[in-house]
Amino acid sequence: MRSAVNIAVHGRVQGVGFRPFVFQLAQKLSLQGTVQNNMDGVKIYLEGEKSAIEEFLTDLKTKAPRLSKIHNIIVEDSELKSAEAFSIIESDRHGTSMLVIPIDSAVCDDCLREMNDPEDFRYQYPFINCTQCGPRYTIIDELPYDRPYTSMGGFPMCDDCRKEYEDPTNRRHHAQPIACPKCGPKVTLLDSNGQVYEAENSIEVTIRLLKAGKIIAIKGIGGYHLSCDARNEQAVATLRKRKNRPNRPLAVMAASIAAAKEFAEISQSETDLLRSPEAPIVILKKNRRYPLAESVAKGMRTIGVMLPYSPLHYLLFADPELSCLVMTSANPSGLPILYRDDEVFQYLSGIADFYLVHNREILHPVDDSVVQLNNGKLDFFRRSRGYVPDPFTTEQDVTGIVGFGGQQKTTFTIGRNEQIFIGPHIGDLENIETINHYRHELDHLLKWIDIPKTTAVIDAHPGYQVRNVVKEYDFSEVVEVQHHHAHMAACIEEHHIPGRAFGIILDGTGYGPDGNIWGFEILYGDAAQYERMAHLCYTPLPGGEKCILEPWRNAAAMLIQLLGEDGVRLAQTIFSDKEREINVLKKLIEHNLNTVYAGTCGRLFDAVSAICGVTKVSSYDGEAAIQLAELVDENNNFEPYSFDLQKEKMMMINFSSMLKELADDVIKKKQISLISGRFHETVVQAIVLTMDELLMKNPSAEKNVVLSGGSFHNRYLRKRITNELQARGFQVFVPESIPCNDGGLSYGQLAVAAAKRRS
Amino acid sequence: METYISLAHGDGGELSHRLIRDIFVSAFGDKNAVMFDAAAITMATHKIAVTTDSFVIKPIFFPGGSIGKLAVAGTVNDLAVSGAKPAYLTCGFVIEEGFPISNLKKIVTDMANEAKKSGVTIVAGDTKVVERGSADGVYINTTGIGVYQPEIGCSLEFAEGDAVIVSGTIGDHGIAVLTARGELGITAPVNSDCASLNNMLEAILKDTSGIKIMRDPTRGGLATTLVEIAEDFQLTINIQETAIPVKAEVHGVCDLLGYDPLYLANEGKAIIIVSAKEKDKVVEILRKFPEGKDAAIIGSISSKEKGRLLLETPLGAKRLLTRLSGTMFPRIC
Ligand SMILES: [Fe+3]
Ligand SMILES: [Mg+2]
Ligand SMILES: [Zn+2]
Ligand SMILES: [Zn+2]
Repeated sequence: MRSAVNIAVHGRVQGVGFRPFVFQLAQKLSLQGTVQNNMDGVKIYLEGEKSAIEEFLTDLKTKAPRLSKIHNIIVEDSELKSAEAFSIIESDRHGTSMLVIPIDSAVCDDCLREMNDPEDFRYQYPFINCTQCGPRYTIIDELPYDRPYTSMGGFPMCDDCRKEYEDPTNRRHHAQPIACPKCGPKVTLLDSNGQVYEAENSIEVTIRLLKAGKIIAIKGIGGYHLSCDARNEQAVATLRKRKNRPNRPLAVMAASIAAAKEFAEISQSETDLLRSPEAPIVILKKNRRYPLAESVAKGMRTIGVMLPYSPLHYLLFADPELSCLVMTSANPSGLPILYRDDEVFQYLSGIADFYLVHNREILHPVDDSVVQLNNGKLDFFRRSRGYVPDPFTTEQDVTGIVGFGGQQKTTFTIGRNEQIFIGPHIGDLENIETINHYRHELDHLLKWIDIPKTTAVIDAHPGYQVRNVVKEYDFSEVVEVQHHHAHMAACIEEHHIPGRAFGIILDGTGYGPDGNIWGFEILYGDAAQYERMAHLCYTPLPGGEKCILEPWRNAAAMLIQLLGEDGVRLAQTIFSDKEREINVLKKLIEHNLNTVYAGTCGRLFDAVSAICGVTKVSSYDGEAAIQLAELVDENNNFEPYSFDLQKEKMMMINFSSMLKELADDVIKKKQISLISGRFHETVVQAIVLTMDELLMKNPSAEKNVVLSGGSFHNRYLRKRITNELQARGFQVFVPESIPCNDGGLSYGQLAVAAAKRRS
Repeated sequence: METYISLAHGDGGELSHRLIRDIFVSAFGDKNAVMFDAAAITMATHKIAVTTDSFVIKPIFFPGGSIGKLAVAGTVNDLAVSGAKPAYLTCGFVIEEGFPISNLKKIVTDMANEAKKSGVTIVAGDTKVVERGSADGVYINTTGIGVYQPEIGCSLEFAEGDAVIVSGTIGDHGIAVLTARGELGITAPVNSDCASLNNMLEAILKDTSGIKIMRDPTRGGLATTLVEIAEDFQLTINIQETAIPVKAEVHGVCDLLGYDPLYLANEGKAIIIVSAKEKDKVVEILRKFPEGKDAAIIGSISSKEKGRLLLETPLGAKRLLTRLSGTMFPRIC
C-alpha cells in the first residue's frame, strides 16, 4: 500500500554526506520524495510502498554515514503528494539555527581501498578523501564550508574530480577537499636546510630514512609530527635528546591493529576507539613481549598508540619492516604545535634530519586527541583533533557565554543557543606564542559562531594569564568561578544531573577563596553554587612553584609540617643528600617566607612519589604522580595505611599517620609498588569514610556524586572510589566527553555562568 | 653621652639639641643650615627635580650597606635616573626608644660618606622618637633636590631596536638582605649592591646621545620595572634570559628558596634604554665605573604597540612576564 511520511532527523547530519546517503537509499528502495537541510537538521518527505518506507527508516539509523551522529528521528504521517522522483532540494533557512563546523576525520575504508588499487586514478595518492573522511576544521578559512574558503581554494579541480564532486550519487559529492594526483596537493621531502631532497619518490625515500634511524618532521592534518622508528632505541634516544624531553612518554603510530598488538593489549572497545573516525591516541597497556624501544615510554605500564589517520600516514607503512613509528607533535617545549611551513625550519633546526612536507596549508592547528578507557568509560586526556569543534547540546540558552579556561592544558568554550562548543587544546599559557595561538583560535571560532559577547568566565586565580587576555575582549561582564566548582559543574552539565550532587574533586592546583591552594575537595551543590564540605589538611609549599617542579621539597615540607621533629628526621633520612636544603625549607616554613599552603591530591601524590624515590624532580607536569600511579594495577586491592578524619564543621582529612607508616616502609625498603598501592587505597578509604560521615550529617542530601579533577585519570582511584560509592547507593558520574583535567575547565565555567544566569 | 635613645631625645629640649649637634651636624657638616627653621640653599636656575623616599629595612646593617647608605643612595638614584644632578638632601628620622646611639652614629656616618661620594649636601633634618614597640629600630625619610641640566636628559622617544641595558648583576641586594636576617640559617653569599649611581649615569648622559629612559629597578626587581616601562609607553620589550647578569651565588640561593632573581630588589642598578646606535658606547662607559663593571645589553624594544615584557628562554620560547604580585600563587598543576 502506498503511503507518505515526513521525517525530521536531528543531530550531526549536515556536511557529512547525509543527503546523498538519503538520496541513494530512496533510489534503492524505489521511494519518491525530497530531502533538504534546514536550520536544525535534515527534513525528508517520502512516499511509496509502506514496507519500503519501513526498510528506509531502519537503514536510516543503521547505515547512516559514519561521520553522522543522529540524536533523534521524528516520523509523522503525511498526505500523499504524488511525487514522481526523489530529489535533493534547496536548503530551508527556517528554524533555530544549528551551526555546523565540520571536523577532521581519519581516512575511510572506501578511500583506502581505492588508494591501494593500482587501477584507480588515485592509486597511492596521499590526499585521497571523500565526504566521509579527510581534513575539515584544519583547512577551513571561512564559513560556509565551501572549497574556495578552504586551503584547497588554490587547487582547481580537474575534470575527473569535478565529475565526482557534482554527481549527487557519488560519495565525493561536495567533498570540498576532493583531489587527485593531477589536480591536488603533493608531498616533497626536504633536507635539514629546506632544500628538496626527493620530489618524485619522497615517501619511499622517507621510509628508507626512517629505517636508517633518521628523525623526520612529517606534516600531517593538524600540524607537524616528529617521527622515528619506534623500535630503534638509538633513534628514540636521539629524538629525546634533541627535543629536550627526557622522560615524558612519546606516542606511537602503529601500522594496524595487528601491528599494535605486537606490543600492547587491546580490547574490542579500544580497537573501536582506535579505528574511529576521530582516531585519537589511545593509552593502552603494554604487553609482556613489548618489542619497542624502552625509552618510548620508560617506566610506564602503558603506551599511547594511534593508527594512521591520513592517507599519507598509511603510505609510510608500506614496508612491513617498519610497523611502528614514534609520532610526537613537533613543538619545542612550551610552544604550540608547529603547523606553518615557514616556522618549522626555524624551530626544528637541529632536531629534524629531514622534512616530509606538502602544499596543502594547515590553517588551524589541532593536536592529536588523547584518551583512555578508564573503568570501562571514555576518559579524555586531551580533546582536540577529530572532536573539536563538535558541539554539545545543553538544556538551556547559553548564548553569549564564553569560558576562558585555566592556565594549563587550556581550552575555551563558547555558548550559542542550546549548543556548547569547546575549542581545541591550546596548551599552557606561559609563553606569548601560546597566548597568541589562544587568541587566534578564539577569534576565529568567535567569528564563526557569531554571538553577542555577554559573559566572560575566568578562574578565580589572581595570576592566570587569561585575566589579561579577557581584557582584550569586550564582554559586558566578567565572572570569576572557583577552579574546582568549574570541574564539578562540567560533569553536572555533561550528564544533565538534576538537583544537587556531591563533587569529589581530586586535582593538581586550584586557587581557593581562602588564599590557599585547593585540590582535594568534597563539595556539595549544583552548577550555580557549592558548599565546601571537606578537604585535605593544608601543608606548606616553601618556595611556591619550586615545590611542584621538585616534588622532594613538597615531600620534605609535608613531613616537617605533619610530623614535626620526627618528620624532619624522616626527611633527612629519605632525602639524605638534601640535609642543608631541608634545614632551609624548615626555616622558610617557620618564618612563613615565600610559602603558600596547599591541600591538593596532585601535591599529595607528588610528595609520596618523592618519598618512594619514584620521582624526586619532575621533568614534565604530573610526572611524579603519573609514575607513582603506573606502579599500581587497578585490578588489585590493597590494605590502607592509617589516617585521621577531623570531624569539625569543615571535615579535614589528615594523612600524617599514613605518611609516618609509609616513610617507615620506604626506609625498610619494602616493595615500592606495594607501598604505592597501599597509599592509593588510603586515599580511597579516606574519601569513602568522609562521604559516610557527610551523609550521616546530612541525611537528606541527594546521593549523586560527580568525580572530577585531573587526578581522576588515575585508574585505581577512579575504579575503587566508584565501586565503593556505588556499593553505598550513590549514583556516580564521571566526565566522559570532556577531560576531567583542566582541559574541561572552560566548559565547567560556562556551565556555572549559565546556571547563575538561570537562577 | 647616653648609650640608648630615650623619649627625651625627641622632646625638643636639651637632649634633642645635643643629639642634633653631636650626631647630625657633626657628620653632615652644614652648620649654617641648622641655625634656621629652614635651610637656605642656592642652586642653578633650571628645572628642579624633587623626590622623597622612606627607608625601612631589616636588618638595618647588612653586607654591603646599612639603612643610612641606602637612604642616601636610594634618593640620589631616584634623582639620577630622572636625569637630574642631585644637589641637596633632607632627612627625617623616626627612632624607637631604646635604639643604641652607637648604631645611630654608624648610620649617620654611612649617610655622610655616601653623600660625600655622590656629591650631595644634607641640608636639613628632623628627628622623632617613638615609644618602644611603636617602630622597629629606625626609619629614615630622605627628600632629594636635583637640577636638570640643559641639553642633556632622557628623550622618552622610543624606537624599535632600542637596546635595554642593565648596569650590573641583579638580585644582589634582595639576597644579601634576605640572608642577612639570619632566619634562614644561611650566611649572605653576596653583598648588597647599594650604591649611588649619579656619577656614572651623568657620564653616560654627557658622553652619549640617544638615551631614552633610565630607571632603578628597586622593589619588584628588574621584571616589575621593565613591565612598568613597557606599559607606560606601550612598548614590547624583549629580554634574553641568558644575557641577564646574575651572580652564581644569587642563582644558588634563588634555587634553594624558590625566588626568581628577576623579581628581587636592587639598590645600585640602573636600567637604561638607548638607541641601538649608542648602545655599545653606553656599555663601554658604564663598565669604566666599579658600579657598572658588569653592565650588559639584555634585550631590545621589539615593537611599539603593546605594553608587555617578554623573556626569551634558552629553549626559544618567549615567556610573558607580569609585575610582582603580593603572593606568587603556583599556577602549575
Ligand atoms: Fe584543575
Ligand atoms: Mg626610591
Ligand atoms: Zn573517504
Ligand atoms: Zn583531480
